[in-house]
Amino acid sequence: MTDAVISTQGLTKIYPDVRAIDGLNLNVPRGAVYGFLGRNGAGKTTTLRTLLGLSHPTGGSAQVLGLDIRKDHVAILQCTGFVSETKQLFDSLTAEQLVRFNRGYYPKWSDSLVERYVNLFEIPMKRPFGKLSLGNRTKVCHLLALCQGADLLMLDEPTSGLDPVMTDLLLRVLVEDHVSEGRTVFVSSHHLSEVERIADWIGIIEGGKLLLETRLEDIRQNFRLVLASGDSASEIAAPNLVSKRRSEKFHRYLVSREADDFVMRLRAQGMTILEVSPVNLGEVFLGLAGKELPCIPGNPGTTRAIA
Amino acid sequence: MILHVNPSSGVPVYLQIEAQVKQVVAAGALKQGDPLLSVRKLAAELRVNPNTVARAYQNLERDGVIRTVPGGGTYVADEHPGLLKSEKVRRLRPLARQLAVESTQLRLNAEETIKLVEDELGELGGRK
Repeated sequence: MTDAVISTQGLTKIYPDVRAIDGLNLNVPRGAVYGFLGRNGAGKTTTLRTLLGLSHPTGGSAQVLGLDIRKDHVAILQCTGFVSETKQLFDSLTAEQLVRFNRGYYPKWSDSLVERYVNLFEIPMKRPFGKLSLGNRTKVCHLLALCQGADLLMLDEPTSGLDPVMTDLLLRVLVEDHVSEGRTVFVSSHHLSEVERIADWIGIIEGGKLLLETRLEDIRQNFRLVLASGDSASEIAAPNLVSKRRSEKFHRYLVSREADDFVMRLRAQGMTILEVSPVNLGEVFLGLAGKELPCIPGNPGTTRAIA
Repeated sequence: MILHVNPSSGVPVYLQIEAQVKQVVAAGALKQGDPLLSVRKLAAELRVNPNTVARAYQNLERDGVIRTVPGGGTYVADEHPGLLKSEKVRRLRPLARQLAVESTQLRLNAEETIKLVEDELGELGGRK
């Protein structure tokens, strides 16, 4: 993919006690809404911070907006709207002061968006940031990130602390004011239903490794859950098999494409097919990152090839 | 135009949009020449990716349900799809088969099943 806004090659960050990200190969196309999904501690936040130059990689390389994360992190920060996981800013400043402080840094800053979002999100502008609720802090962080006119938004758990009405509004303004303008949005989350609405690309990370990177539409169109029964002794292996689970004589297979072929192979082994059904993102996520699943081929190379 | 999508259903969202627009048009709630929301507006309304809406609109235009005036919006098409009868039958057959399977399983007889279809056609204003 040539027109990638974010691409990483074997990006790795090892802390003394943990491999936080481990050989990550991400590709975020221009204009995509990329849902970066993972469980708590999967490496999402470390990835975002590393891409922004806030944390230094121990291996591999990465480019954001064509800039090298090791050399150009100041420039990257300047053209990226970032909402951090912790939603921390200067506690003593009010939102009004933070806006005044920020707008000077960004040539494409939009005062009309400030006005729109302050009204829409009912943001208290005169209270010190440190005295705001988590929800209101989140809103102020979004206000600063969304108004700077950035071509890339990097949002780490963007809806934390927001009530359902505000979450819905945030999704709306992201679509209306940013995605429709061709901006790229990289959003890390474990709220699958929100991501499933607006994303067109999905990356699933677990234990610092990318388990899947694909178009969301590909999941809906080609991924299938196959339920079968039988005592097949020989274990079935196929490049399109994403995960499998077994409970006595019942088997659940998640396949990424060519489900018909897969079903024929199961039948050839004497298995009975009970159901072949489309899957949603939640089922894929649980299939890959779910706990009771011992068996994952874990080959991002093959899944990338389908994308 | 009030549509509703469920992104978690496993059915591609663009297909959900297509089906609902067809239903709204078939029911006569939108008539020939009525405008539809722009891709951007509908995407914002539904909180879905604009590409998804664009894809649904492309398919609807290909099927002759809507037409897009370059730079001038999207409207319900004047003519009903000029498809060959055989093509229309080909498209409906899988649905008919599904209906037949379900009604057999539920032990409805042919008469009762056909009555159901007639009722639904009646609901849409007796269009033929």
